[in-house]
Amino acid sequence: MGAPRQLAAMLLRAVLRLAPEESREWATAMLRELDFIEGDWAALFWAFGSVTAILRHAASVFRMSLKRQTKEAEMNSTGRKALGVGLGALYALMLVGCAFAGLRLTAILFPGLGLDHAPWTFWLAVVVVPETILVTATVLLWRKRGPLAAGILATSLVVGLHLAVHLAMR
Amino acid sequence: MKLRMSPQTVLILDAFLEQPEDWKYGYDLSRITGLKSGTLYPILMRLAERKLLETQWETGEPGKPPRHMYRFTPEGLRFARTNLLERAGGGLGQVALGLVEC
Repeated sequence: MGAPRQLAAMLLRAVLRLAPEESREWATAMLRELDFIEGDWAALFWAFGSVTAILRHAASVFRMSLKRQTKEAEMNSTGRKALGVGLGALYALMLVGCAFAGLRLTAILFPGLGLDHAPWTFWLAVVVVPETILVTATVLLWRKRGPLAAGILATSLVVGLHLAVHLAMR
Repeated sequence: MKLRMSPQTVLILDAFLEQPEDWKYGYDLSRITGLKSGTLYPILMRLAERKLLETQWETGEPGKPPRHMYRFTPEGLRFARTNLLERAGGGLGQVALGLVEC
């Protein structure tokens, strides 16, 4: 075996070792063909061409995996946003729920205050104060934590709409 | 199915169409088409990725390393015939590719 053929085999074996999994079958195929090439120099040129082909294939595999990763990252980002909106809605509902529960508890613990007979206390504790807090939170969080703010705002609007319908029905 | 029909791709499809049912080796294809391995293999890879070519390792004599072989899939054969027909241009191409009995 002449020196050019030895060099060709060495080159292809090195590429085979370094090639990504997806390119290995092709690199092996090119290496196997080396035994059937007539002429040592032809074998060396075959190896040069094969190395180029494997590098191009490996580069395209890398590009594809990069594209896949970018897509996954985008999907993750969408997931994070949805989580933020959900959390915002949950916080807002918890606030309204706590306000309502707090009012009921106060009415039970301190019947002397007569909160059950004062509808303005309900409007103040369950509507005005929580809605003010929610709108303020939305404004403050809008720039830094947009999805959370959007969740809070959406819940605030739903609660407000619910009360408006409730009032209209009365 | 999008595949750039470069003159080199046409040469390779043409080589496979000679005897579509036969398996072919990389080096033989290189000799038939006159393409260097750096041009031949990327095209073979693309054709295989698009399922136009099937690949197989030759199970030859024991002790001899197996060789990679290629041939058209049914889809690949259809693709090659259709595309080469379009390039050959109509009836004459059909005769040339053996699709129409003379």
